[in-house]
Amino acid sequence: MPDALPPVLPDAITDVMLAIRDLHAWYGESHVLHGVNLDIRRGEVVTLLGRNGAGKTSTLRAIMGLTGRRTGSVVFEGRETIRMSPDAIGRAGIGYCPEERGIFASLDVTENLMLPPKVREGGLDIPTIHALFPNLKERARSQGTKLSGGEQQMLAIARILRTGAPLLLLDEPTEGLAPVIVQQIGAMIREIKQRGYTVLLVEQNFRFAQTVADRHYVMEHGRVVDSVMNHEMAGSMERLHAYLGV
Amino acid sequence: MLEELLFQLEMSAPQIVLGLVNGAFYALLSLGLAVIFGMLNVINFAHGAQFMMGAFVAWMLLNWAGIPYWGALILSPLIVGVFGVILERTMISRLYKLDHLYGLLLTFGLALIIEGLFRNQFGSSGLPYAPPAALTGAPLDLGFMMLPKYRVWVVVAAFAVCIATWLVIEKTRLGAYLRAATENAPLVQAFGVNVPRMVTLTYAAGVGLAALAGVLAAPIYSVNPGMGSNFIITVFAVVVIGGMGSILGSVITGFGLGLVEGLTRVIYPEASATVIFVIMAIVLLARPAGLFGRA
Amino acid sequence: MTIDRRSLLGGAAALPALGMMPWGSARAQANNVLKLGVLTDMSGTYRDGCGPGSVAAVRQAVQDSGVAGRNIQVEVLQGDHQNKPDVASTIARQWIDRDGVDVIIDVATSSCALAVHGVVKEKNKIMLNSTGATADLTGPACHGNTIHWTYDTWMLANSTGGAMVKAGGDTWFFITADYAFGHALERDTGDLVRKQGGRVLGSVRHPFPGTTDFSSFLLQAQQSRAKVVGLANAGVDTINSVKQAAEFGLTRRQKLAVLLMIVSDVHSLGLNTAQGLVLSETYYWDLNDRTRNLANKLKGPLNGAMPTMWQAGCYSAALHYLKAAADMGVAQAKASGLETVTRMKAMPTDDDAFGPGSIRQDGRKLHPSYLFEVKAPGESKGPWDYYKLVRTVPAEEAFRPMAEGSCSLVRT
Repeated sequence: MPDALPPVLPDAITDVMLAIRDLHAWYGESHVLHGVNLDIRRGEVVTLLGRNGAGKTSTLRAIMGLTGRRTGSVVFEGRETIRMSPDAIGRAGIGYCPEERGIFASLDVTENLMLPPKVREGGLDIPTIHALFPNLKERARSQGTKLSGGEQQMLAIARILRTGAPLLLLDEPTEGLAPVIVQQIGAMIREIKQRGYTVLLVEQNFRFAQTVADRHYVMEHGRVVDSVMNHEMAGSMERLHAYLGV
Repeated sequence: MLEELLFQLEMSAPQIVLGLVNGAFYALLSLGLAVIFGMLNVINFAHGAQFMMGAFVAWMLLNWAGIPYWGALILSPLIVGVFGVILERTMISRLYKLDHLYGLLLTFGLALIIEGLFRNQFGSSGLPYAPPAALTGAPLDLGFMMLPKYRVWVVVAAFAVCIATWLVIEKTRLGAYLRAATENAPLVQAFGVNVPRMVTLTYAAGVGLAALAGVLAAPIYSVNPGMGSNFIITVFAVVVIGGMGSILGSVITGFGLGLVEGLTRVIYPEASATVIFVIMAIVLLARPAGLFGRA
Repeated sequence: MTIDRRSLLGGAAALPALGMMPWGSARAQANNVLKLGVLTDMSGTYRDGCGPGSVAAVRQAVQDSGVAGRNIQVEVLQGDHQNKPDVASTIARQWIDRDGVDVIIDVATSSCALAVHGVVKEKNKIMLNSTGATADLTGPACHGNTIHWTYDTWMLANSTGGAMVKAGGDTWFFITADYAFGHALERDTGDLVRKQGGRVLGSVRHPFPGTTDFSSFLLQAQQSRAKVVGLANAGVDTINSVKQAAEFGLTRRQKLAVLLMIVSDVHSLGLNTAQGLVLSETYYWDLNDRTRNLANKLKGPLNGAMPTMWQAGCYSAALHYLKAAADMGVAQAKASGLETVTRMKAMPTDDDAFGPGSIRQDGRKLHPSYLFEVKAPGESKGPWDYYKLVRTVPAEEAFRPMAEGSCSLVRT
């Protein structure tokens, strides 16, 4: 088991938006993160790769303060957030799209979309969102959970684009979706990167990850064990296959 | 036989109206319980005691501060609501991660303590509290019965408050937060909403509704420490029949069961305290989630 | 059946008594200690009329009896039966079996009184009942271990009911608490009304405890068009009934007969609502120097309230018991409840609560009863000045003639 190495950024570390050092987290008695280190620069799309149970989802939840106890350091835009409550972290400017998408059954599509409060200026306005996701406009009065899986995923991402949060945590947005929808999601992630958002993406599917990300971290047993630049992916396939067991 | 039936019918119309008055109290109380259960997952057994406190605070405001009924209608729910905030912050909030049973036991214990303290201070037979002058005087003649003005006011006020609460929850942004947090509180909090504070205020609002019902009850029922415990078991049955946590369900069931109880008082008065529990048993067998609950 | 919050803890009801176990049983060995258990409603609808005040009254009686000077030790226990007969008999048994209690006093609520009535007979101990009202205690159910002290349903019916009928109220409708007391009071009043040529048009029975809203019952009473609406209930139930009767304007066409109302109920209702009601009691603090003297002594422990007839009865009963027991000797008094009661019946009574009186063969304590009218707010000179005396019924007329009670102790 390699020790948790400090992640190495390809060039000098400039404009780091999120810096995580020695992050440990627990669910009750169970210790799920064992000293995660990673950095994300403004404007990057970074993925967390790894097998089931490697700690990818737990890392996102720990960033949001949604695990039980957590220790270490999570610095977002220069502010230490390790002792903040989830709502304070959310208001600091991190948008979270959970694995199960978190669409609310008791809210209609518009209510779901409007639910997260604005945390900053500069979020997408409703016309822009409707232009990006026309289905959400057509089905505005439907119950949130009546949408298709792909539409729900769009809604889950759209609602955090609205809030102005500059960093988005997306947990497996492609899970269980048809290939054509996966392509749409890929296009959307590239689009929001264009608009200057920073994205931390959890993915099992590294072929998809390759199409959207600048960089990849690999997790194993609750630690970050490797990092790969996207353009080095081709040359690192053997290594990645070993980690991911595909 | 026919004569008997006609007599029953003639007797029934006023009873339906009176049932509506009782139903107004059931609706207000079960509404508060539903709001609290939906948001906190706590079965608030102290609800009856808080109803009683509402009535007593109205009495204190009148006798110690000279504040009349109309002021008490606003102030008493606020004061009891603040008491609710303290309870939630210091005690109930520690139990959210545990089984329902703990919240139930804690609030049940609190209810006994609160009632005991009031009993020590004020005795058990109650205190007089007169209806406001504007609502006393000759009862309204409805043709088939004489209905005191104050009872009309109780139905109107309770109905308005129920509708207003429903609108807040179903139609406003705050209501959307509440509904969303009921489903997935951690996610709503991660969106930047201060859910713990919202939970506290929701508890206070539920408690405030109980206190408001208490103020409404003060002029017609004896203001005594046991006044809430007489109501609360029936109200729990109403909540179970309507479906735990269902806002609309609790309001409709509250008024509906008031009517059923009123009719029972004509047909077989000895059973009037039991009929609601019989209905509860039947509903639980046929629809365990309650009439309006989601399974 | 009625469910209330407290029934959830029904099983825990005897816990206070259990708590006394370790040292209670040790002391029970002491043969020169007389043990008086005050078993009453400490937390429910009747609490203010009896409850802690009854305990205080019994303690006062112990002090006034002077037994301490005769080197007799007395211990007073208290228990809350929560108006539940099963709880009442459980506590009574524990008191007698484990704690060596000799006499059980007060026993509010007729259903509880009847339950304890059975226990003391079985164990050859004593019940001195002040607050329970059912006249069956000295009627069909009578036995030699119980004395019914203060009042009973027959006396209430006779005094209040009789007065209403005489005043022209010859058609009646009853609103009745659905348990032993309400049934007995309705029966006794109904009998009286019929005997005097009146008619009972109907009745409605409300669940006890747990009824708060009486409006539908009052409405049925209104629709009956009876001249008199008889309230065969007590405590908070009566208070709520009277309050809501005023609200519904019932009293404009009909007369309200509060068959059992005591001074603490009037205090709770306020004179505005209660004025003009006619009611019967056997003790009122402001009757004479002796009653005022007793009230003065009890004012402290009662937090400034005036004693009720129920509490005064507990005082009077305990005082008389201690006199008899001291005369007999403690050992003998403890040995047989029946003998002690027989001794008490043989002695005349005299105390500040009821003045001179006696105890009849069937266990009925005899003293005068009083018909009062509640004063208007303007007539009242201060707190607790509530009653005008309308009529005094002498002791020999106040209670049911022994021959009519079908008590087996009475040999004709």
